[in-house]
Amino acid sequence: MKKSTEQLYKKRILRVQMYIQKNLDSDLPLEKLAKKSYFSEYHFHRIFRAVVGESLKEYIRRLRLERAASNLKHSNNSIINIALDAGYQTHEAFTRAFKAVFGCSPSGFRSGNGTLAHSQSDTGNKKIKPDNGDYPMKVEIKTIDKMRVAFVRHVGPYNQCGKAWEMLCTHLGKDGYLGPTCKFVGICYDDPEVTPPEKIRYDACVTVDENFEPQGDIAVQTIGGGEYAVTTHFGPYEKLSLTYHKLFGQWLLKSDREVRSEPSLEFYLNDPDSAEPEELITDICLPLIPKK
Amino acid sequence: MQKTEKVDLYKLHKDQYIAPKKPQLVEVHEAKYLAINGRGEPGGEEFTAKIGALYGMAYTIKMTRKFAGKQDYSICKLECQWWMDDGSQNFSTTPKEQWNWKLLIRTPDFVQDDELDEAAKKLLEKGKESEVKQVAFESFSEGSCVQMLHVGPYENEPETVLIMEDFAKQQDMEFHGKHHEIYISDPRRIPPERLKTILRHPVRKKTC
Repeated sequence: MKKSTEQLYKKRILRVQMYIQKNLDSDLPLEKLAKKSYFSEYHFHRIFRAVVGESLKEYIRRLRLERAASNLKHSNNSIINIALDAGYQTHEAFTRAFKAVFGCSPSGFRSGNGTLAHSQSDTGNKKIKPDNGDYPMKVEIKTIDKMRVAFVRHVGPYNQCGKAWEMLCTHLGKDGYLGPTCKFVGICYDDPEVTPPEKIRYDACVTVDENFEPQGDIAVQTIGGGEYAVTTHFGPYEKLSLTYHKLFGQWLLKSDREVRSEPSLEFYLNDPDSAEPEELITDICLPLIPKK
Repeated sequence: MQKTEKVDLYKLHKDQYIAPKKPQLVEVHEAKYLAINGRGEPGGEEFTAKIGALYGMAYTIKMTRKFAGKQDYSICKLECQWWMDDGSQNFSTTPKEQWNWKLLIRTPDFVQDDELDEAAKKLLEKGKESEVKQVAFESFSEGSCVQMLHVGPYENEPETVLIMEDFAKQQDMEFHGKHHEIYISDPRRIPPERLKTILRHPVRKKTC
């Protein structure tokens, strides 16, 4: 009998968890962890969250802090050394993070002989459970044909990709390439929770015909092709990540499908220029490996 | 996709774009539109081609201005006026092939005729449909109008129009001119039962 995607993914994520546990002193870069799991970098962080219930970054931070707590209790090592071991450069940063998870300062924890001042604070150590939502998620499997797109690459915080869109639409628009049949597609290659904001890569894409030729900062690529799991996000772009969590946690793990090593696509179905944030509609498309 | 400061005509003229659940009187002043006329079934071949031409022109004009560093603005939603040859409101009894319509996108006054011509030329050069030549500027004022939000499929509009007409009668007024619709939702994406459309109809004091 075929194992469910959830069983399979749990096994692969467990390998990563074991590796993290053994290598808490190392750097633990995303690429390396993704490789351990055999997941593509595009989806690894979301699958990790769906399986584990917290983000990779939170998970590693919590493990390091828990080890620090144990060291405070059982060793005579200085607090600053324990802080450095946990990956914090300053006493202050360590204290802040420690407090957020354990509700008391490291020195307070140590003098209290390792008992917590009060139970774990509300803000700390919160596990983000895969959201089961109020209603079942609507996901359709669709074949998306390959599309030729003109695009502008944005590198920087996700919420500043508007500049790329502006440049792309202005150039295409002035030359008569924009019309109601154009598709507006976003490709996010990185995890905003892991990749530093200034390094996040994002492509703003608009479908064009064969006549369009690349010019200046506007390049051309072919995207799509194959099967995708498609769900619709209603509302502001800032909340897209919630729908992603749901798609991975609620749908993917329970499905009999696996993700393909390509980035997800976002189709923006209305114009943020004239629609209110609450009215915005976005299709999130997750690439799937063909069914055997 | 991010917003920047620009002229938004619907926000600027909020009072003319109210979408009340109950009919209400509004004053619609002179406004400039990109417009294209047609006849026949809504959603039919001609209708779809002309929506394409209208939007193609709207985008091209806006982005050409923007590229040149001129005042930027938001492209307004699609609007449409509908009328019968005989001036009646008998939409339900007249075959759709005989419906007349004028597709509209409200556009700021500062956009000039030469920008329109330039855009049409550019689109034709790109091999776009010849309909773009039919897109023109039109300015008109509808004066006093009854306005109301219609939620649901377009086919159910007569019910809402009836409420609007009753309301006009209560004010001792009657419909005249053209039935006007402002499309808030995209029918390609929103299921019919949730479609939102502002219905507008000019009214005048009843003549005895």
